[in-house]
Amino acid sequence: VSEDRAGAVFGVLADPMRRRLLAQIAEHPATATELAGELPISRQAVAKHLSSLADAGLLARERSGRDVRFHVTPAPLSEAVSWMTRVGAQWDERLGRLSEALGDGP
Amino acid sequence: MTELIERDLTVPRSPAEVWEAVTDPAWLETWLADAVTLELWPGGEAHFVIDGEERTGWVEEVSPPPEDAAAGPARLAFWWTVGDQPATRVQIELTPSGAGTALRLVESRPLQVLDLVGIPLPGHSNHRPGPALIAA
Repeated sequence: VSEDRAGAVFGVLADPMRRRLLAQIAEHPATATELAGELPISRQAVAKHLSSLADAGLLARERSGRDVRFHVTPAPLSEAVSWMTRVGAQWDERLGRLSEALGDGP
Repeated sequence: MTELIERDLTVPRSPAEVWEAVTDPAWLETWLADAVTLELWPGGEAHFVIDGEERTGWVEEVSPPPEDAAAGPARLAFWWTVGDQPATRVQIELTPSGAGTALRLVESRPLQVLDLVGIPLPGHSNHRPGPALIAA
């Protein structure tokens, strides 16, 4: 993440509602209409926040029939998969040692 | 996008014995890290050296095995990070299981997307960011 990019992203995420929207979309991709149904703000307000998040490169748009579905950008996602693989293997080793030290499970 | 790692393990020891194995630095140095400092109170310091690499962090929760198992699992939770990488949360829960103990390990990056761009990471007892935390 370059400094300029980080600055733009930081500005966008300074807003609590945008952070909340990003966290919800990180859990599962959604449309503005779906998100507005779960939040105390209008669909138009949600759509505006989503545009800001997309402009900052945090969200990507995907056509879904007549609607637009938003998901988090692929870069953090593939990074997440590699993190889970790498760190998961570390825990397998550590817990293997712990299990051995405490005696094998029943 | 679920960014967490879950592992389950059952060992033929009491929760009190396993609790010692996951909290006592001398024990931790046999299976987790080469050197361990772990201050067992919320906000305490957590410091590890693993394969020559330093990990620093802080302790979030220390709940030893309750006398009444119905009171819920024993739980240790701490955050750690290497260098300027995003901080992650490690949680170990112990529940009595037959004559032994079931151990559940969860490492998660609750707010990784925010942390990636420098938003400070708050701690939270729930490993999924709830609306209250996000809005904080």
